[in-house]
Amino acid sequence: MDKVEHFNDMLVRLEELLYHELSGCAAWKVELVGIDFIQSKNIKGNTEDEVITHCIKEIIASGLVKNMIYSIGGKGILLNLKMESCIHLPKEVRLKKDGIKPYICPIANMIMDQLIEKLKYETTYLAKLDFDEKTRECKVKCAIYETPDKIGLVSDWSKEEL
Amino acid sequence: MGDILEVIKTRKSIRRYKPDPIPDKILDKILEAARWSPTGENYQPWRFIVIKNPETKNKIGNLAKLGSGSRMTAWYCLGEMQKRFEEIQDPVKRAEVLRFMYSGEVSEFAKQAPVIIAVIGTLMEGSVDVPYDLSACIENMLLEAHSLGLGACWVHGPVASTRDAAKFKKILKIPTGMGEYKAIAYIALGWPAEARKHPRPKKPLEEIVYWEEFGRRERI
Repeated sequence: MDKVEHFNDMLVRLEELLYHELSGCAAWKVELVGIDFIQSKNIKGNTEDEVITHCIKEIIASGLVKNMIYSIGGKGILLNLKMESCIHLPKEVRLKKDGIKPYICPIANMIMDQLIEKLKYETTYLAKLDFDEKTRECKVKCAIYETPDKIGLVSDWSKEEL
Repeated sequence: MGDILEVIKTRKSIRRYKPDPIPDKILDKILEAARWSPTGENYQPWRFIVIKNPETKNKIGNLAKLGSGSRMTAWYCLGEMQKRFEEIQDPVKRAEVLRFMYSGEVSEFAKQAPVIIAVIGTLMEGSVDVPYDLSACIENMLLEAHSLGLGACWVHGPVASTRDAAKFKKILKIPTGMGEYKAIAYIALGWPAEARKHPRPKKPLEEIVYWEEFGRRERI
């Protein structure tokens, strides 16, 4: 039995169900999905870069993704993530085929969680989740707000692709 | 029995309030309207926290601002917010409306409301309809408030995300366990300081009603 396939199948069902019940705001309810793994890893760091780098190291070492890079932009509130061969990619593919735009990224949730837990960031938001089945690549845009005054720092994120 | 269609049709979401207090007698009528809402198997899972303390209202207003602002800032940066306001021709006005939205100021009005009522539901008594029951009782309260001349607004924003909902519960000392209470929204209440000049257009019945089966528009 392929356990990863089994767990992805279950995630698909739950993600579909939640979307069906809540429509678009389902995406706002799922920020804790995936965080237990990273919370078990004793992530350390005093800066954004240190925390994110440590998270990525643990995520790759565990085999959740094959490779992962990031950038910070958008006046400091845009966290761009690019992942290769995430184990959850089949979930995104199947959801899209079922007509639902995937909205849960457990990997991005992990990193945003640690920014909140370790650096006391005010809030975060998973803004965009794109993936390419052929290249097995995911691109995620997260809004990360260190303090309340970062809210409203707008810029054009389309110019800041990773 | 009076027809309440006019009450329903003239209700609008009001976000600006006079500072005048709301007498307890009127508040009690609004809460009584909630008590009589439809509820699956008569479970009545709803509980209400009536908040007048300015400090508490400020905390909730800030939380609402943060929730809306965090999402709308991202939507603006992705170019999604701009499409929603394309119909505003004046570029200066459009920019100001957009700033009002993505700054989160649009959701800050709990601070100015004389009263806000947090609507929560117990998840521990067996009801299988908690979100639906709570939504029905919110509508009852909005209609009763409107019929009494008050302005009100149903606000979901500050409890929309899981972390924000936990913060909301902590502000009001609501148990935070996921199996204890669901915080679904709050209602901001006050004597209206605005009249909605441009009620949002509603879709015509022909567009939203089918007869006998999905998609069939001919009236039987």
